[in-house]
Amino acid sequence: MCSEKEFQKAGIWSIEIGKDVKPVRTGGETVLSGRIMDRDIFSYKGGRLLFAITGLLTVAEGICIIIQAALLAGMVTKLFFGEPPAAIGHQAIGFFAALAGRYGSVLAIRQLSSRFAERAGSDLRKAFLSTVFALGPRAIKEEGTGNLVTLALDGVVRIRQYLERLIPKMAANGILPLMILGYVFFQDRVSALILFVTIPVLIVFMILLGLAAQKQMDKRWSAYRILSNHFIDSLRGLPTLRYLGLSKMHEATIARVSDRYRSMTMRTLRLAFLSSFALDFFTMLSIAFVAVFLGLRLVDGRMALEPALTILILAPEYFSPVRELGQDYHATLDGKEAAQKMRAFISGKKKDDLAGPAAAGEWTADSVLTLDRVSVRYEKDEKHDALENISFNVRGFEKIGVIGPSGAGKSTLVDLIGGFVEQTSGIIAVNGRPVSLSSAGWRKQMTYIPQHPYLFSASLKENIAFYAPEATDRQIMSAAEAAGLSALVRRLPRGLDEKIGGGGRALSGGQEQRVALARAFLCHRPILLLDEPTAHLDIETEYELKETMIRLFRGKLVIMATHRLHWMEQMDRLAVIQDGRLAETGTLEELLHQHGAFRALVRSQLEGVR
Amino acid sequence: MKTWFVPYMKKHWRGFVLSVSCSIAALICAAGLLFTSGYLISKAALRPENILMIYVPIVGVRAFGIFRAVFQYAGRLASHDTILRILSEMRIRLYRLLEPSALFIQSRYRSGDILGILSDDIEHLQDIYLRTVLPGVSALVIYAIWIGLIGDLDAGFAFLMGLYLLMLLVVFPVLSLLLAGRAEQRLSEGRHLLYEKLTDAVLGAGDWMMSGREKTFLVQHEEREEAVRAIERRLHRASRWRDFLSQLIIGACVLSLIYWSGGNAIHGQMDRTLIAAFVLVIFTIAESLIPVSEAVEKLPQYQKVFQRLRGIEGSPASEDQDRRFDALPETAERLGGASDMFPEKISEKVEIRAEHLFFKYAAREDWAVRDVSLHIRQGEKVALIGRSGAGKSTLIHLIYGALVPERGSVTLNGTPPDTFGNRITERISVLSQNPHLFDTSVLNNLALGNEQASEAEIIRAATLVGLHERIKRLPHGYWTQMHEAGDIFSGGERERLALARILLRNAPVVILDEPTVGLDPITEKDLLRTIFDTLEEKTLIWITHHLIGANEMDRMVFLENGTIEMQGRHEQLLQTNERYRRLYRLDVPEKLKRPLQLAGK
Repeated sequence: MCSEKEFQKAGIWSIEIGKDVKPVRTGGETVLSGRIMDRDIFSYKGGRLLFAITGLLTVAEGICIIIQAALLAGMVTKLFFGEPPAAIGHQAIGFFAALAGRYGSVLAIRQLSSRFAERAGSDLRKAFLSTVFALGPRAIKEEGTGNLVTLALDGVVRIRQYLERLIPKMAANGILPLMILGYVFFQDRVSALILFVTIPVLIVFMILLGLAAQKQMDKRWSAYRILSNHFIDSLRGLPTLRYLGLSKMHEATIARVSDRYRSMTMRTLRLAFLSSFALDFFTMLSIAFVAVFLGLRLVDGRMALEPALTILILAPEYFSPVRELGQDYHATLDGKEAAQKMRAFISGKKKDDLAGPAAAGEWTADSVLTLDRVSVRYEKDEKHDALENISFNVRGFEKIGVIGPSGAGKSTLVDLIGGFVEQTSGIIAVNGRPVSLSSAGWRKQMTYIPQHPYLFSASLKENIAFYAPEATDRQIMSAAEAAGLSALVRRLPRGLDEKIGGGGRALSGGQEQRVALARAFLCHRPILLLDEPTAHLDIETEYELKETMIRLFRGKLVIMATHRLHWMEQMDRLAVIQDGRLAETGTLEELLHQHGAFRALVRSQLEGVR
Repeated sequence: MKTWFVPYMKKHWRGFVLSVSCSIAALICAAGLLFTSGYLISKAALRPENILMIYVPIVGVRAFGIFRAVFQYAGRLASHDTILRILSEMRIRLYRLLEPSALFIQSRYRSGDILGILSDDIEHLQDIYLRTVLPGVSALVIYAIWIGLIGDLDAGFAFLMGLYLLMLLVVFPVLSLLLAGRAEQRLSEGRHLLYEKLTDAVLGAGDWMMSGREKTFLVQHEEREEAVRAIERRLHRASRWRDFLSQLIIGACVLSLIYWSGGNAIHGQMDRTLIAAFVLVIFTIAESLIPVSEAVEKLPQYQKVFQRLRGIEGSPASEDQDRRFDALPETAERLGGASDMFPEKISEKVEIRAEHLFFKYAAREDWAVRDVSLHIRQGEKVALIGRSGAGKSTLIHLIYGALVPERGSVTLNGTPPDTFGNRITERISVLSQNPHLFDTSVLNNLALGNEQASEAEIIRAATLVGLHERIKRLPHGYWTQMHEAGDIFSGGERERLALARILLRNAPVVILDEPTVGLDPITEKDLLRTIFDTLEEKTLIWITHHLIGANEMDRMVFLENGTIEMQGRHEQLLQTNERYRRLYRLDVPEKLKRPLQLAGK
């Protein structure tokens, strides 16, 4: 229904519109009923109730269908036998009423299931987003921002479509054919038999064809994947192609690959469309048989016109739920998958909100943070701890440098203290009392400055005041000044109100860092957490920024993970992490005179390139 | 619409006519099946003496039943084949539009994944044909046939029937279109806002959490969702009611048809066996018109796609770039084929000379490069340092010929680089920050550097950049597909792969565009070592952000505000320039260096 093209960024969805063309899913159009119908539906709030109501309404619909057919046949018969049109007035009214009743039921079912789907979808989204925001940056990065956003927006739309159609389809398929078949059976056994036999034949054929298509596709799967990705891969690689002097020639490659993709897709489609061919073929043939057999018996006089006509009118109705089942098959499957993904995300990552007692009070010059044999292990890496048995004290407004080779666990340590990751074992205590660092109370004392601070798509002012939305303009301006942003503010046409971030003016890496510093200046939180804040900047910017940062450090607990050696001089204590363990701690002087990990690290950095 | 739709319709009209005729034929068969079976039954009810009397309708019923499926199948294949051909052409066209501005795409379309969106757009366009044009045209033809048929019998009644069905064919679709069109603007704005705000918030999730305000965001987000939902709900409700009313209209059609045919039969104007036939067939006819509303409803959505594609086409830069590159002896290169692309150049010496270069991106902006003169001899190693926006990239693009100076001149051996067109790549290679690894085998990715290279040469290049062992350990060695290797290649290794391409390319000048940004110091140093070792004889122009490796360079050039601020050899600057000394100390702090050196002795 809705084309959320704008939302389709990360593309975990094969595009729905291309569903016939995208080979990914084409084959199984028919191995369907079992896969669409699942019991999950009852786990949504109101699922059972909706199912019951829909069932009743579907029965009403079935009754109306039969009445409508019988009355229509009655009218035609009367006219056929020469009665004047005036004689069918009552039947005409009845027919129209039955018709209205039938589609009224359909309308009610659609209305109800749409409301249900909407509620279920938004419940799921709320739970999902709360989980996302409870987990934080590391988990987000793992899943991919694009994936999460697509799931929360596009995914929910698909789930809604899936839920909206699922229950009515289940009810229609379970109830209508049976009712019609029953009625036909009482009118004419032969026709009922023809209709009855058709369905299994139909299903067997469709499954066979579906499997054949699937098999053919599996066989070519890897070729398909490359062909279908080729175009976007080429676009993304355009600069590289250009630098290699291949970009002009590559046009021919695109044409060639596109063409191969087309012929390959067509080969599969030829097979895949056979399943709907079978559907058409058998239903149409079945109707034709019913008609012919009715005709033959009419000739013999073993059958009356009215019931024969009724049956003929009902025959297409008998097949229509099955035919509709295949429609939107792909959309339905996508919706189901999205629902499963979201649920898996919510339940897989759910952590107890109340894990451990809340954090201790305000961090002061006398506070002590103790890590006692703390280990962190990530789900996906089952063999190694990211941090292993770390025991470490942090006191008052110390400046701690966390250093070590990349991948050793520096960032994990920062994330642990920031509360974005929880320890798998060990105890973390503040002033001797065990705490959970992922509590809001602890986070509120902290400013976190990553390598690439995120600038929201909002005004410079709003960005600076993000942690302290109640700040006055004066306060914001002086924070901006303290962070060395006043020159920038003067240059911007709209000063502090200039829009920055995604939709606005692009800032350089150094300016981004200064916005983050301004945030920190403004909110006066006692703990400052930095993860490699200057490594990516050009050296002159780094030099200037350093001055500003040193001012910010005053009267705060600072924990900074960095490679940059010049920061070592500013730190009171250094913690060297290697392979997830705390290899050494001490002041710069101490570590320099120990012949340990720190010295080796510094030496390897300082020796010349060649 | 004009350029991305009509031409393709014209070019592929045969395919369209074929698929439309097939789907119409399928509809006619479906209608024919019901018509003949109604007729068959009625005829049979007259109990003809001879069974042969109903033989023809019996055959008709079966034939229609079978052919309906056949036509449907053929139609679907024909329409998909046509549309896939069109898609293929559109892809080429989009590529052709984007190619000239290849180096500037990222900076021009800052917002997100514009390429992904465009590529999706192309796919999206197939809907116009499959879901709007085809059903629309088929419905129109069916309508015309049906009304024509009735009109042949009774013009007055045909008029009435025409009016009824016109509701389905025209009135409802137009109403839907109006409704959807009006909502579309607000809807797409709303969705865009949702997307933007949510992405923004997820990217900045850490800050939301730290500020303790994540609940605020969730509430705001639900409000925005609700606003969009409200519009969607209204649209959906309207379409449900429309479907309901459509069915009532069909009911009315059926009733009037009954009265009409009954009346005709009584007066002997029509055979009474046709009553049932007509009554049964009207269902099929009318139902084939219902999808028109849904098809038309989608039109406003395509509008956006067309707009975006037009935007790409109209972007001025792509035009002037186009002109510049197309004016070049490109055809010669193409005609000559790949075989004579690489030789002869390899040992060429290139002397780069820039004289009083000036460049600005837009008339009102400041100079991005201002009065820069630079002379680089073959084999010289030059580092370019400066803040972001100092003009490093612009200078590089000028030397590469991707930009043309406004004043002054830049030449390679006396020739302006922009006149080389694509052949510039035989003289200058670029190692960029994010070299793209294509979704093909590792071997192919390397071979992109020089398609004439033998496998032995490729392996030699991989060995030189220190990847040979690494690649051999992959599941299928050099034949491993990139997506299998996936994230196995780290940032440093990706650069090494790109470096191997450059070695295969063997151009005399190599530009290093901050290849080590984002790498940790040890990886950075290893990579630089490999770069300097393997590119010993080449001219190097290295954009860098700090001073590691400075002593390997023949010259350090500091850019500021588009102009050269200071330059010289590392040792020389270290001795004479206080500012340089200060910066150098950030990379190599005295306090750390001294005790180490003492201890080392």
